[in-house]
Amino acid sequence: MQLPCSRRAYALIFGTVIAATAILNPLLLSRPLLADETISFRRHVLPILSNHCFYCHGPDDEARQADLRLDDPESARHVIDVTATDSELFRRITTDDADEQMPPPTANKPLSSSHIDIIRQWIDQGAPWGDHWSWTPLTRPTLPPVDPFDGNTLVENPIDRFIQAKLQTLSRQPAPAADRTTLLRRVTLDLTGLPPSPTQRQDYARDTHPNAYARYVDRVLSAPSFGERMAWNWLDAARYADSNGYQGDRDRTMWPWRDWVVAAFNESMPYDQFTTWQLAGDLIDNPNPQSVLATGFCRNHMINGEGGRIPEENRVDYIMDMTETMGTVWLGLTLNCCRCHDHKFDQLSREDYYRLFAFFNQTPINGGGGDPQTKPVLAVPTRQQQQQVNRLRETLRDLEQRLDQRRQQLAKVRSTWEQQILAQKIPIVPAETLTALKIPVKNRSTEQQQQIVQSQHDADDEHQKLTAQHKTVTDQRNQLESTIAKVMVMQDQTEYRSTFMLERGLYNKQQREVTAGVPQSLPALADSASTNRLDLANWIIDRDNPLTTRVTVNRIWQQVFGIGLVKTVEDFGVQGEVPVHLDLLNWLACEFRDTDWDIKHLLRLIVTSHTYRQTSKIQPRDHEFDPANRLLAHGARYRMPSWMLRDQALAVSGLLVRTVGGAPVRPYQPKGVWSEATFGNRQYQPDSGADLYRRSLYTFWRRIAAPTMFFDTASRQTCTVNEVRTNTPLHALLTLNDTTYVEAARALAEIALRHSCANDLKRIDFVIQRVLSRKVADAELQILNQGLQRARGQFKADPTSAAKLLHVGESHYDESFDTVETASWTSLCLAILNLDETLTRE
Amino acid sequence: MKCFETIARQMARREFLSQSSAGVGVAALASLFGTEGRGQSALGHGLPDLPHFAPKAKRIIYLFQNGGPTHVELFDHKAELSKLHGQPVPESYVNGKRFSTMTGSPTGKLMLAPVEPFHQHGDSGAWVSQFLPYTAGIVDDLCFVKSAHTDAVNHAPAISFLLSGGQIPGRPTLGAWMTYGLGRMTDSLPAFVAMTSVSKGTTCGQIFYDFYWGSGFLPSQFQGVKFRGSGDPVLYASNPPGLTRQMRRDWLNDIARINTLKLEEYGDPEIATRIAQYEMAFKMQASVPELADLSQESEHTLQMYGPQVREPGTFAHNCLIARRLVERGVRFVQVMHAGWDQHNSITTELYTQCRDTDQPSAALVKDLKQRGLLEDTLVVWGGEFGRTPFIQGDIQNRPRWGRDHHPYAFTVWMAGGGTRRGVTYGKTDDLAINVAENPVHVHDLQATWLHLLGIDHEQLTYRFQGRDFRLTDVHGNVVHDVIA
Repeated sequence: MQLPCSRRAYALIFGTVIAATAILNPLLLSRPLLADETISFRRHVLPILSNHCFYCHGPDDEARQADLRLDDPESARHVIDVTATDSELFRRITTDDADEQMPPPTANKPLSSSHIDIIRQWIDQGAPWGDHWSWTPLTRPTLPPVDPFDGNTLVENPIDRFIQAKLQTLSRQPAPAADRTTLLRRVTLDLTGLPPSPTQRQDYARDTHPNAYARYVDRVLSAPSFGERMAWNWLDAARYADSNGYQGDRDRTMWPWRDWVVAAFNESMPYDQFTTWQLAGDLIDNPNPQSVLATGFCRNHMINGEGGRIPEENRVDYIMDMTETMGTVWLGLTLNCCRCHDHKFDQLSREDYYRLFAFFNQTPINGGGGDPQTKPVLAVPTRQQQQQVNRLRETLRDLEQRLDQRRQQLAKVRSTWEQQILAQKIPIVPAETLTALKIPVKNRSTEQQQQIVQSQHDADDEHQKLTAQHKTVTDQRNQLESTIAKVMVMQDQTEYRSTFMLERGLYNKQQREVTAGVPQSLPALADSASTNRLDLANWIIDRDNPLTTRVTVNRIWQQVFGIGLVKTVEDFGVQGEVPVHLDLLNWLACEFRDTDWDIKHLLRLIVTSHTYRQTSKIQPRDHEFDPANRLLAHGARYRMPSWMLRDQALAVSGLLVRTVGGAPVRPYQPKGVWSEATFGNRQYQPDSGADLYRRSLYTFWRRIAAPTMFFDTASRQTCTVNEVRTNTPLHALLTLNDTTYVEAARALAEIALRHSCANDLKRIDFVIQRVLSRKVADAELQILNQGLQRARGQFKADPTSAAKLLHVGESHYDESFDTVETASWTSLCLAILNLDETLTRE
Repeated sequence: MKCFETIARQMARREFLSQSSAGVGVAALASLFGTEGRGQSALGHGLPDLPHFAPKAKRIIYLFQNGGPTHVELFDHKAELSKLHGQPVPESYVNGKRFSTMTGSPTGKLMLAPVEPFHQHGDSGAWVSQFLPYTAGIVDDLCFVKSAHTDAVNHAPAISFLLSGGQIPGRPTLGAWMTYGLGRMTDSLPAFVAMTSVSKGTTCGQIFYDFYWGSGFLPSQFQGVKFRGSGDPVLYASNPPGLTRQMRRDWLNDIARINTLKLEEYGDPEIATRIAQYEMAFKMQASVPELADLSQESEHTLQMYGPQVREPGTFAHNCLIARRLVERGVRFVQVMHAGWDQHNSITTELYTQCRDTDQPSAALVKDLKQRGLLEDTLVVWGGEFGRTPFIQGDIQNRPRWGRDHHPYAFTVWMAGGGTRRGVTYGKTDDLAINVAENPVHVHDLQATWLHLLGIDHEQLTYRFQGRDFRLTDVHGNVVHDVIA
């Protein structure tokens, strides 16, 4: 067997020991196979065919060359013979003749020698075919056996069986469990987005029961902060924002939908119901306000109110966005590719796309204008607003009753009143009334009689007073109702709207009409009298749908481990990653489905596994073998999301305000960011008081100028499910200098100063414990203490600077402490908030 | 200091790892994990296989004129148009063409002659109208493309199309592709900077969306850093009040020491990167104020850029800062000026618009030239589309004359960076409505810019959602005729 050049280079760099392990490394796909190893079509061959051949020889009818499909075994047989050497396919990929070579050199997709080797062996083994893994029906794999490591079993639950069995076949070891304190901080951050509070730390430290950790997990899963943490990623996927986007970027009021999401996670709503309600909560049997509110999910798309836009073009954009968001979130499909042409790689046609589009194409929206509360909407009053409305309605009812009574009284005395008026020298009624009064009652027209009644009412003091009150209260009610949040929701119009395939996705290039339906290559829609969004939702959550549970479980895995079992969380198609731990993914997907789609159960299973609990210390040889830690031979370690960093700073400094839900808030942001983006049309006015310190989840999200205190976040413009994690100097500047962090450092310093500590060293330990949930190490203590003494000297020499530092942020500093002292501790705390460990979920 | 030696050692190890993975692992791992990284290190050294060939330009300054500058008033001189003033547009020129809903059907719209006269300038004899006297003075350094055309008819999609190759937000912009591919040339400033401005009193300014300098699906470290017109040019660059630079330095040393302990214990190369990024942040805190400090600029230079040059947030100021940025190793500077959307202000606001942009644009080219920077710095001037040669509004009401969006032809000029000097490429028909000769599509412009940077636009790709994306989508031809 010829050694491919890439592996030669490997051997050169790492030496023979590592080269030997590389041969066994299953992560290196393009490695030569071992002598007795059979080729897996799905794992080895399909990715090569897809990436290098499908563009011209794949599912797309229009792009197909030479009438050859390599995604179809029947068609492919024409170029595959019994042996590789007899096969036209093999000849074409190995020829030196540029005119015949495949892929053609111009395609910029050359095959490597190991690719060619795989194709050769595959053909020689009979070119067995198979479906793409994620399209195949879901069956629960049996748990692989695992031998103890060094006499110890490290298996806490089935997850570990899969992970450790794979490690064992590679003669590698799982890492030991992390420290109790590390684990405490890790799991609390993962499940609530907040560090453990001092009480949580104490409770956990005191619990000596063998099940202490599992019990702690249960407590954390039932905390209200759990739903808030889970909501962030869902909001990214749902492209939730507080404004429309585009020119104008008007403010919308979709936040009751956001609060619904938090509550749904906290109340353990089964994920199948969570799905159905958001896609079709208006169409279920007996819809209720909550289920209709849930459909706000679909309406979170941007709205383009730019002058000169064609309404139908907007409308088509919105429906495409709904369709593609559904495709990414539940099916892991890159449907957007099929707007214009059949999918280049996956078994998805343009017709499939527009059939899915048709499900969403029945709303009464016409696409015109930029109303951020485009109907249909659902008014969602807060409890307080509801109470006020109720009170006002009651008052109105009361006034109406009293008016009614007064009118009855007046009716009784009307003839007397008429006489009195006619007897007046200067009558107090309008001329028309006077004319009418002179006509005998039986000869008056209805209008004339009404005119008289009206005049009598107008002339009556009591009636006047009641009417005025009624008007005032009605105005109050109208005013109040206009401030009630209106959430854009889903509704199908009564008249059926036809759906047409659109040439290149252009709204005005209608082609053939299609009806609602699901992709042909996936299981069929259940028989039903209707074909609406509810049928689509039911199809998505059907136990035979091969994608939904796999995609969901993978996204949850990503949320915890920082990277999915399938790294391409947004693409479960042929170009996506074939998971190394496919069996584990399948097992988790089955488990999730068979336990009532219980997210908390899934998370509990994950975080109580040994795999999760492992230390994140990296052994050098592990790093060289598997730099991205895809085999999970040690715990995951990554920088926390920026929103979590902010929440952490607020929490450890005691500034965090834990109110759940409500209208979005405006924390500190440098001046001029909104106004520069909008030519002064919009000014950012930071809130004052408690709203400065709410969880990041509640920060107002303006689409054209996203909040500056976050980085590496989704744009909230279109659906985003993959996590981005970069490391740039701008991030450092933010956590070093943003008002939020500086103020938090001061508040933390004040807590430390208030705490009774024998000396500086004890006090530094107190701060470290508060931030990192662990004791300070000696070496750290030495560095930090030196820093503290140095800062004291500097601030003593420059007390004006000390005073300035204490004035950062709106909250008042504690004047009972010495200024220099607080400033010195503030600078220390700010440094601690910027330690790598503080920024990292360890 | 001892700890920095350790860091240096760790960094060296990291570099070693990343290089070795670029050489070996990545090729193999990529095929399994669909890794997009292609060996891009976190410190931004660019891709190992770039440039594809010898570059002519190292940097780009894009003077983006948002709103759709009127090619009819500024550059595209047509005698025939003046003759047809007030006449209905000939049907054959606009048949079947789509315009914005403000125009709707073009049938019967009246032709509108340019409001200022044109003259030929320089040895090249390029036509420039009286609106732009300063640009007229540098025509022999410019390369005009008069046959640019685009697919989009509304601002945001059209701007996005020019900058990212896609009309819908979400693709990486030119600056992001460039810094992703070629890496950074300085450690103390961002590699890709964006600045925005608008003329005072403009009623037709278009919003600056941050996706105009976004990195799309590329890692966000490649997105443009928006330099602001007020406050800190870079957000959060200033130390908090009361914390001196010396104190910051001291604490950063302490942070680095503790992080190094962590690195030794945990072995995660990401920690070494963080140490380096915090150092870079510290450098940036000094280099950003230095950049904004114009006290070392000569009076002559300042005067060149015009009266607004000292006023942060103006186009003139941004043009000068752009020069200072490229001098300091920044790869891509995107200077955007809004307000070219004269639907009803051809005879009014267009004058302000030209006054505020003409002199600084020309000054920038001259300034770069006198410093020897023009040779390898490409300057591009242009907007997202042109404007209709027929009127929007009432021909009797001169103060409200306007022109609507026009995607079928517009003018872009380039200078330096290996482009030809004093040439005009492409031609429109005799009414400046459609391209008549040598059409240059948006993707062709993009292919050409990348080519000047030594990049084959078909080979700079990034895998996203299973597809290898590139700036030019699946189109684009290099316009060799504009390259020197």
